[in-house]
Order: sequence, then C-alpha cells, then structure tokens
Amino acid sequence: MANRRAFMKSGALALFATGISGLPRFITEAAAGTQMLPLYKKNKTLVCIFQRGAMDGLMAVTPFADPALQLARPGLFMSPTAGEGGSFNLDDRFAMHPSLKSLFPYFNSKNLAVVHGVGSPNTTRSHFDAQDYMESGTPFAKGTASGWLNRAVGLLGHAPTPFSAVSVTSSLPRSLYGDADAIAINNLQDFSIQLKGNPMAAGKAASSFEQLYDQTANELLNKTGKESFEALKILKSNNIKNYQPANGAVYPNSALGNSLKQIATLIKMDVGLEVGFAESGGWDTHFNQGTTNGIFARNLKDFSDSIAAFWQDLGARQSEVTLMTMTEFGRTVAQNGTGGTDHGRASCLFVLGNDVAGGKVYSNMGSLTKNNLEDGRDLPVTTDFRAVFSAVAENHLQLKTNGNLFPDWSGASLKMML
Amino acid sequence: MNKNPTRQTPMRMIQYAYVFGFLFLMAFVKPAPKMPYKKAGLTEQEAALHLLNRFTFGPKPGQVEEVVKQGLENWFLAQLQPAPDNEVVRNRLGGFQALNMPTDSIVNTYLQPAQLIRLAIAKGYIDKDSVDKTDKPAYRDAIKKMQSEYGYRPLQELQRELINQKVIRAVYSDAQLQEVLTDFWFNHFNVSLTKNQVQQLVLPYERDAIRPNVLNNFSSLLFATAKHPAMLLYLDNALSISNENEYAKRQLKGAQRLLDLNAAKKMVAAANISDDSLQKMDAMESQMTTQIKRRKSQGLNENYAREVMELHTLGVNGGYTQSDVTELARALTGWGVKPMYEEGPLAKRFSIISPAQLLRRGLVVEDYFLYSGEKHDETEKIILGKKFAANGGYKEGTEALSMLATHPSTAHFIARKLAAKFISDEPPTAVVEEMAKTFLASNGDIKEVLLTMVMHPDFWAKAKEKEKIKSPFELAVSAIRATGTEVVAPYQVFTWSEKMGQKFYFYQAPTGFPDRASFWINTGSLLNRMNFGMAIAAQKIPGFKTNLLALNQNHEPESVEDALQTYTKLLLPVSDQKENSERIMSIVRAQNIDQKIASATKDTGGMQDMQKESMTQTNNTPLKSMAQVVGVIIGSPAFQRK
Repeated sequence: MANRRAFMKSGALALFATGISGLPRFITEAAAGTQMLPLYKKNKTLVCIFQRGAMDGLMAVTPFADPALQLARPGLFMSPTAGEGGSFNLDDRFAMHPSLKSLFPYFNSKNLAVVHGVGSPNTTRSHFDAQDYMESGTPFAKGTASGWLNRAVGLLGHAPTPFSAVSVTSSLPRSLYGDADAIAINNLQDFSIQLKGNPMAAGKAASSFEQLYDQTANELLNKTGKESFEALKILKSNNIKNYQPANGAVYPNSALGNSLKQIATLIKMDVGLEVGFAESGGWDTHFNQGTTNGIFARNLKDFSDSIAAFWQDLGARQSEVTLMTMTEFGRTVAQNGTGGTDHGRASCLFVLGNDVAGGKVYSNMGSLTKNNLEDGRDLPVTTDFRAVFSAVAENHLQLKTNGNLFPDWSGASLKMML
Repeated sequence: MNKNPTRQTPMRMIQYAYVFGFLFLMAFVKPAPKMPYKKAGLTEQEAALHLLNRFTFGPKPGQVEEVVKQGLENWFLAQLQPAPDNEVVRNRLGGFQALNMPTDSIVNTYLQPAQLIRLAIAKGYIDKDSVDKTDKPAYRDAIKKMQSEYGYRPLQELQRELINQKVIRAVYSDAQLQEVLTDFWFNHFNVSLTKNQVQQLVLPYERDAIRPNVLNNFSSLLFATAKHPAMLLYLDNALSISNENEYAKRQLKGAQRLLDLNAAKKMVAAANISDDSLQKMDAMESQMTTQIKRRKSQGLNENYAREVMELHTLGVNGGYTQSDVTELARALTGWGVKPMYEEGPLAKRFSIISPAQLLRRGLVVEDYFLYSGEKHDETEKIILGKKFAANGGYKEGTEALSMLATHPSTAHFIARKLAAKFISDEPPTAVVEEMAKTFLASNGDIKEVLLTMVMHPDFWAKAKEKEKIKSPFELAVSAIRATGTEVVAPYQVFTWSEKMGQKFYFYQAPTGFPDRASFWINTGSLLNRMNFGMAIAAQKIPGFKTNLLALNQNHEPESVEDALQTYTKLLLPVSDQKENSERIMSIVRAQNIDQKIASATKDTGGMQDMQKESMTQTNNTPLKSMAQVVGVIIGSPAFQRK
C-alpha cells in the first residue's frame, strides 16, 4: 500500500494520477521539501473493543472445574469433556467457549492472555453507568470530562496527528471524549468530499474548498483544513474501496469485522494511528443465551473470527499492535428463569499482542459457592479494570502517566506484559 | 473672548454635567439604552448582524435590515420576552402526539424494548421460552400486534418528535433567543438519550424544565432540573437512600422482629407444625430478609450532588470540598421520581396510598417529583459551612439548592459560561465580572445578565473577527435559514449534525458538549461540513427544498462571477463579503483556466477527469453553477464562523 511517505515523494505526479486537479501550494511546497509537514510519528497502536451489553465472562472462559458453577447454571454449563465441538481446556481450571476456536491458537502461541474477574469497584449494575465509569476511567465520578483513551493520547509525549485516535463508530465514544484530537469515522470511504450523483461537482468543489481553507486567517480552520485534505488524498491514493486483506484473512461480514478491517487499513497506511476503537453489541443475554449454539455462541464467534482475521491481516505488523477487549460488567453466576443471565459484577477480557505475556489466565477467582459471591449472586471483582488498562496502555504505548491516566486510582498495574 | 479660559471651565463642566446627567437618566429611564457598538467601530448593519449571529440560529435574508429598522435595542428587548409560537411553528408541530402528552402518558405509551418484551410475555403474546433477540419476523409481529392492540407507540417515534421539534423551532420560531438558550441550558443541565432509564423523559425534560425557564431566574432552572425525573434518574439521585430516619428504622426493626418471632415459633413448634404453615413461615422469612437486605444494601449516591456543584452551579474551582459533596448528597436523599409506569408494581402500590398515609410516611408529591421521607437522612449536616439541623426533611434540600443558586461562585461560573457562548471561547474578564455582579444583584435574573453583556463594550469589541465557530447544529440551521430552505424532513438536520460531530441529545457525559471551536473542528467533521454545504445547495438532501432562484428574487445570475457576488451578499451579509467573494472568485477563475488547459490538451493521458469536467461545464445549467457556488460558500471557512 502507498503510505504517507511514498505519497509525499511522488508529489505532483500522484495528484494527477489520483484525479485531483490543481496543485495546492502547501503540497507543492511540501513536495519540494521547503515546508515539510512533520511526518506522522508513531510508535505503537493500541486497539480497543468495547463489548456493550455486559458479556457473560463465565461462559466465554468457563471455570469448568468448579462444581458450584454447574450447580448454579445447569442449563448453561459447558466443559471441555463434551467431546466434538467442546470447549478448549486452557489450564485444567478454565476453558474457552467453542466459539473462540479461531482465537485459541493465539493462546497456545502465548500471544493471547485472558484476565478473569475483571470489573469496577463501583457496584452499579446499570449498563449506562458502568460503561460510563469504565470509559471515563473514574468509577466514582460522572463529571470527568475526558475518556481514559483520550487521556492516553494526550500522554503519548508528542503532538497527535489527525489519525492518532480513531473510533470506527458513528459518533465519538465516551472513551475518546476530551482535549486530544480524536475522530469518529463510521466508514473510511465517507472520508471524502462527495456529492451524491455528481462526483464531478464534488471534485471541483474540493479544490475550491482546499484553497479557501488554505487561505483563511482562522488558524484552527486553516490547520484542520490542510490536515483534512492531506488525509483525504492519502486515503484516496490507497484505493480503500478495494482493500484486500493480506495473508488470506477473511473478516466476518459484521459490524465488528468491518470496523477491524478499517482499523487494519489505517494501520497499514501509516497515517499515524495510535489508538483505534471499535464496538461489539448484543451481549445483554437475559433470555435463552444458549450454550454451543444460540445467541451467545453466534455473537462470540463473530467476536473471535473478527479479531482473528484482523490479527492475520496485520501479518508482520503484529508487533506494533496490541488489542484489548472490555465489557462493562459480567453476569449472574446462576441462570435466570428465562434461560439467560442477569446483570452481575466481574467478567473477563482478552489481550492480544506480541508484547503480552500470554497463554495464561490471570485470575484471583475463588470458588463460586454462594457465600463467596458478591451479594450472594455475582462473581466478585478481584481485578480492577484499571490495573489491566494501565498495564496494557502504559507498556504498549510507552506512556509516562504519572497517575494522570487514571486519576483517583493508586493501584498497581497487573503484571501481564513482557 | 478667551482671555480667561480657566474661568469658563466651571461653567462648561456644569453644562457637561447636565448633558451627561441627562444621557445617564435616559439610559436608565428609557426602555432601550444604546448598545455601545459604535465605539467598537461597527456600523449599525454590522452590529445588527452580530446580534443575529449571536442570538439567533443565523440571519434570514433581509433580516439585518429588519433589525436595523426595528432598532437594535428594541429587537433585543423583544427577544428577551419570547413571543408565543408563530403560525408556521404551530402548524408544523400540530401533528406531534407526544409533544402535548403529560409525562406519565408518555411513559405509558412509548414503552422501552425490555418493558415490551416482559409485557408481551405476561400478556401471552410471546412465549417466554421463545424469546430470542435475533429479530425473527414472527416475534416482531407478535410484539407489534400487542402494541397496536394496546395503543403503545414505538419509542423511536418519541425520539423523532423530540429531535424534529428542536429543528423546527430553531428554523422557524421567532423566539430565536429562547431557542438558542434552550440549546444552551439543555447542554448545561445535560441529560442523555444514551441512558435507557431516561429515554422517555428527555422530551418532557426539555419541554417542561428547560424551555419555559431559559429567561427566568437561574434558580428556577436549577430547581426545575433538580426535580425532573430525567435528571433524578440520569444522575442517579433517585437511587440515593438513607436509613437514618424514623420510618426506615421502624421498618427495619419491624422486619427483624417478625423474623425473630418466626424463628422462635419454628423452634417451639418444630415437631408438630403443618407443612402448610411451615411454608408460610418460610415465605415470610425470605420476604423479610429481602426487605432488610434491600434497605441495607442501597445507600448514598453522590453523583447528582457532585455534578450539581461542579457542573451546574459553583464550578469545579467554586470552593467546595468532598465533604460538601457528601453532605449535600445526604440532604438530597429521598429526592426521587413518582412511579408512573402503570404495568409496573411500584405504580400500582403507589396509587393505593391514601393522603393520610402519604403524610405519615413523609411523602411529598409535586408533579412527577416524589420526596420520600422514608429514604431521607435526618441527621445534621454542614454544607459550605452552613449548618442544617437534624430532622430538616424535604426543605433542607431546597434550602441547600437555593444557597447554590445564588452563590458568588455560581454567579461567576454562569457569567463566564454565558460569555463563552455569546462572546468568544475565552471571554474577556471585564465583561464576565460585570455579568457576575448583575447575577448577584438581580438574584440570578438571566435577562439582566444578558443585558449587562450586550451593553458592555467587550461584547462588541471583536465582532468583526467572528470568533465563534458554529456548532454542527448551528451550521445546518443557519444554512437553512440563509437559503430560505423549506424543511419537510427535519430529521435530516440530526443525521447531518451527527456526521459533523454533534449527535445532539446523545452526549453521554453530564458536562454536555464542550462549547469551543477545537471540539467542533477536526479532520473528520470538517469535510462533512463542506459536504453538507454542497448537498444542501444541490438539493441532494431528501426533504429539503432549496430554491436558489427564488432567493435572488428569480433573477438568474448572468455569469459565475455574478452568481458569486449575488450569493455571497445573500449568505454572508454585511461583513467581509468583498474579501470573501474576491477569494472565491479567484478560485473560480483559476478553475476556468484549468478547464481551458484541459480541453486544449484533450489527448494527454491522465486528464480524462478534467475533460469530462469541462464537458459538463458547457452543458451546465445556470442552476447547477449557482448550486456549486452556494455549496462552496456554505462549506467555506467564512460560513463556519459567526
């Protein structure tokens, strides 16, 4: 793929080849090296997936060796002894759901770690509140203006670029609220000057706009205008419409698969992506959750296959990227009256990357007998979500946080990174 | 004559004193004191434009002249007394069902998805074992059947009405300042459709708590929001519970006594008790245990108490401590929501409580606000240094909020936020100080504070620089107003605002959208502002009817240059137009040259796009080039600013 560096070198020629008429001053100057814009600096990329709705961590990664679990959820219990299509035994205590088949190899190759018993010290069982707290990173303060990922961008130690933080969602998630530049793009193809049914007019207007923004005295509009048009040209020259995943990766045709494909595109284009964000929905399984088949199994398969395709697609770029999943809380240990589970406390999350001390389930989980449970019903939170988020973000993005990533928190990061 | 000038001076001074005194009196006796825009070097037209830019959703064609004719001061004073809905607004909102429904009817008509499922199971429309969220048609049909038979409406309809009424009022209402302030105060006291529990309540919140109060005293806004179910649920005060009161203690003690009694009975009668009565005893035991547990497990929730100080009144540096937060939260325990959902257990239980019981249990009902003495903390509190004696009940919450509403930190915080909205992102301190003084002197009268602002030179000093960047919503509505577009499908404004970075009514955090240029302008959103300009001008937004010819009194521009000059004048009235049109013109000229070159080099490779472009150019109807010109103006930097 043509990355930004190649684009700058080819200069004027590239412009004509991509069909953009007119030579804006800043591009000619940049190409001539007289006014080179700083190259997009990038070290590493952190990709986060928020599983909205509260994933049943006890079903995704089951402590199958605990008889109390089978007792509490006889209709939902699964174990690796189930034979063909059974779950994957990780360490004789935990097993991965069969739907995680595509991720299991990465556990074996020690790139994938599971952290179990993760959650928030705030006991709320409201989706909204729990997501809000997890995304702001301040479990007891609603008014925190910024999201934790935005603060991470601010702590990178260099000025963010237009694509430093990208959420592949229709609007900016709470995690990315804040002062550092962050954008939401639902579809990279929409990142263009376009007019339905009249691409000619759009092309013409684009060069008018480019010059107008180049000339405006308003600093913010001027700077952002330049960045926008530059970014637009990079995307255009890369033919993102016909993006072909590498290494035979096949993304599921789902919202998550699509989002991760676009994040991979951005990574490979070298536009400076450092924080990518995607969402996955449908985890609020109050009714007929199912076991090897059913809502949960289907959803988890999409989740697993999307991540596996992303990882495969990255190929040699894997070493730059770490992926972390999160969900607002877990679900009740016992099944409810409608074949599902209700809002609980702790769940599990996955971290995938070459710098992860993987092949291990990090857990302080005790027995699931009733008197060991929170409020007699829920998996207790034994690992604060901030201990994981800070471990991953600080290590992978090499942040110097000085306690600014998670204000009001003085806990220790989980030692799970190499 | 001037032999002795010093002797004349006292006389002169007296004369001056008379003149100044007269002017001084005029300024206060006359209803419309002069706004000090001339000193800032503004013409009356420029000043009128500044007023329209700041206090409306953008000038309509000819409106600058109208304001000049009416008199700038008169126009502003009229805006401070909002007129009732005009005919256009009344007609456009006429068919809106929820807009005229009381809150409890809304809650019982627009059910949440989870409520629908439970109800459909309870009423036998769907089987509980078949519940599957995979959108099976049969399942959806069963729910639809129940909805139509019971008169339930889809929740999306409610949200659509909420969004559409905002757009319609912003575009068509004459009470523009009221609408601008509704947008501002809603954002200040933000609640969000992203929280399921408040989805049904956002429409009544804006309608009943915000809009009627935007030009009242600040405290009326504070109280209306504090007691509204939307806020009580959004910031969780409805969940904040204490057992420090007689009722709770009695209840706990009673439950415990029953438990003990039960246990004793069981012991005594263990041998010869019937299965039936044993079962009853077990049931009683579990009921009492649950009751005690529920009472004890719920507790203080500080969310609202913290945010009301940090975000709504004092400001983060307003001089309060964590202890003040906790104490205020304790004072507000028991402030909650009257149960409204008729199919739920709470409303049924509540409806049978007699007035005498209400009194005995310390319940106070005001509209949909419910104060429950049985959840209130009756011990002593100290908030911001003021002592609230024990057993203060409901009124200590109102006293504490009143104290916040008129606190000097609040005056300053609100003054600054208003100045940031109406002057610039970093407003000058002098005007903020004056506004804060007025706030304190007028008991938080928002009208007075705004008057102080427009009478201050700081409001006018940088008017020509157009320092504020329009929010996406403001951009969309101002383009609609400037082009005289008829909005048949108001929801399109929401769709486009979201693309441009403002999904209004969905901002999750209680801070509301940050009101500053750097939040609105980023690479993703900026391109969509340009795309919006082109789309609206080219009639590519379904349900938007833009008639560019009519906008120019049906005069067809004679050339592209002519179109440019004409529409720049219309869309960017009064200020900067010369500079703007010259800029855009030079670009259009340059493009024409490009096209000439392109057609001269037809067979050069890689020029096909240009070739096509120049061909369409020759076939271009004047309308198309007008649309292009207008699109570029709306997407240009000049139109993003105000």
